This record gives sequence, structure tokens and C-alpha cells, in this order.
Amino acid sequence: MSERRPYRRPMSPTWWANPPYRAYTLRELTGVAVAIYGLVLFFGLVCLALGPGAYDGYLAFLRSPFSIVLHLLLLAAMVYHVVTWFETLPKTQPKLIVDGKPFPAKKMTDIAIKVGAGCSLVLLLIAIWVGR
Amino acid sequence: MPEAATAVKTVELKILRYRPASDERPAFGSFKVPYTEDMSVLEALQTIKDTLDGTLSFRWSCRMAVCGSCGMMINGKPQLACNTLLRNLPPGPVTIEPLNNFPIERDLVVSVGDFVKKIESIYPYIIPKEPKTVAEGPYLQTPAQLAAYESFSDCINCMLCYAACPQFGENPNFIGPGAMALLQRYNGDSRDGGQQKRLDTIHGEDGVWSCTAVGYCSEVCPKQVDPANAVNQNKTNSAFDFFLRFLRPGGAR
Repeated sequence: MSERRPYRRPMSPTWWANPPYRAYTLRELTGVAVAIYGLVLFFGLVCLALGPGAYDGYLAFLRSPFSIVLHLLLLAAMVYHVVTWFETLPKTQPKLIVDGKPFPAKKMTDIAIKVGAGCSLVLLLIAIWVGR
Repeated sequence: MPEAATAVKTVELKILRYRPASDERPAFGSFKVPYTEDMSVLEALQTIKDTLDGTLSFRWSCRMAVCGSCGMMINGKPQLACNTLLRNLPPGPVTIEPLNNFPIERDLVVSVGDFVKKIESIYPYIIPKEPKTVAEGPYLQTPAQLAAYESFSDCINCMLCYAACPQFGENPNFIGPGAMALLQRYNGDSRDGGQQKRLDTIHGEDGVWSCTAVGYCSEVCPKQVDPANAVNQNKTNSAFDFFLRFLRPGGAR
């Protein structure tokens, strides 16, 4: 007679909060930061449409210490988001074969991060130049 | 007394035991075995089975990370017992559990039936683009064409990637990283023409779409197969197939 009685262990309900999954959860949460930043910009657009008074209020909000701290936090989250995004990039595409050999994933991530950083710098310079 | 001088160094193993005939649920049992510098976790388990408790059950075969039988959770991480040396683990007791996310049959032995069914479901063989007779000669392949799928053919079916995958834990019907690596091994082969047939097996939540790109499967893989890459590049293929199926003859139903 078979003694089989397979036992299924329940998953920990907090698996996402502990290593090795914590970095993944953090990465996914930075998506919320991206959404919040989008909302801040959208809020500015709405204020612009409402008229000069509302837009001045928006600018005053941007200059407030709360807004500056918020933007620093959002920037940190965005940087983490970008880096982890490019770390995931090689996983999401077909194997790249260069000179008959698979192109190293790490190199792909490095190039993407450098291009991303370069584009951001150019954007920043354009923004500074336009805002002069 | 000379006893103190010859006292051997020991290592403690805390092993999750489950004997279906007598145990209601799994519980930890503790064993102390003599420690040597070159000892793997598998050798420690074999020592327990040989000298302390012959009822301890675990799978093993090749002892050299080729057969994929001895996967288990070692200190909470999915690893091959033969490939994990005790000296590389932090000091103190070593915790050993059966692979996460699989039903436990007995002690460290888990059910593999569902995994085998998944492997069978993705047509794990070459479906030639153009059938050839032996007289017509072999199917040729350049080194670059080989490199396009070679790493995926290194999979040893050890199921560590499934134990690493929280989405497989949440949805046992998810096809999972290992079977997807095998799928990509054939879909990426220049001689193969079965891409569409395999793609039809991986749509939906039980196909590739349970994956949220956690990536831990590729980290624990003892053969650097990168199953996360196999799953995620096929999300693109699945999405393209969904939107372009109307353009394919006989595609839209």
C-alpha cells in the first residue's frame, strides 16, 4: 500500500519583504515613485492651464522644503529604477551574438547605463540653456 | 586522556524531516557528523544515512553537478548538495530543507511529476524546418547559430530555479523557468521549425505571463543557463503572436 501523502508547505506571506526578494520588491516599488513624479508634472500642467495665479502657486510649491526633499527622494528612487531597469534589459531580449559569441549581459547593462546617463546630461544642459 | 586530543571537529545539520506514514507535518531533526575540509553537504547527508539514521531520504546520483538530482534548500538558498562545500558555509548549524514550492514526498524528496509534464508539453525535441533523408546529409549549423541557444541546452533539470521563483510558488501551474529554458533551447535552434507550435503552449498566466522578472532563477542556476532570459524574451514573442495572429494564415480563430 502506498504511503504517499505529499505535503505542500505554504509560502511565507512576507516572502517579498525578505532577502533575496527585497531588492526585487524595492525595484517594483520605485515604479510608484516614477508615477508620483509624473503626477507632480501633471499637476504643474493643470496649474498652467488654470492661469498665472495657479502656476505661481505651483512654482511656490516646487520651491518649498517639502518639495525639495520629495524631489531628492524621487531622484534617488529614479536612479535605482534606471539602474535595475538596465540590469533587467539583457534578460528581456533575444541572445545578442557578436562575432559568433554571446554578447556579455554585464557589458550590455554598462553601455545602456552610460547612454542613459549621457542622455540625461544632455537633457539637463538643454534645460539649463533654455531656462537662462 | 587522549580522547580530548583526538576529538574530531563536527558540524551540525538541521534537516526538515517528513515521513508521510507517521508525521502529520514536517519538522526539523538535528544531526552531528564529523567534519572534514573537503566535505560537501551531500557527503554529510550520506554520512548521516550510513551511520546515524538509515531512514533519511534524499535524491542523489552523480556527485558532480551534472545529474541535477540533489537540489535542496541549504541555509534557505536553492543549491545542489554535491556542489556546496561545508567549508564555504557560514559557521554554525546548516539548515537543510527540501526544495521550496514543491510538494514534499518524504524528507528531502519532492514531487517532480508536474515539472516533467511541463517539459513534455513544450515539444522538447527538434521539429525540422525541412525534413531530410539520411542520404541528403546532416543539418549544418554555424558556431554563431549554436551560440544562439547553446547556454539553454546546459540545463540539468535540477529545479533550483523553480524553488527560487515566488511566482511559481503562488501559481504551481506556471510553466516556470526550467521548462522555458528548454523551450528556448529548441526555438532558438536554426534547424528547428516548431516555434509556432511551442508558442501556442505558453500564452496566458500559466504560460510566460506569470513571470514578473524577479530574476532570482538565473542567480541560483548552477549551470548559468539564464532561464529568466528564456522566459522574458518569450513574453515579447507571446505578445507579438497575440497582436499579429490575425495576419497569419489560419492564425485567428
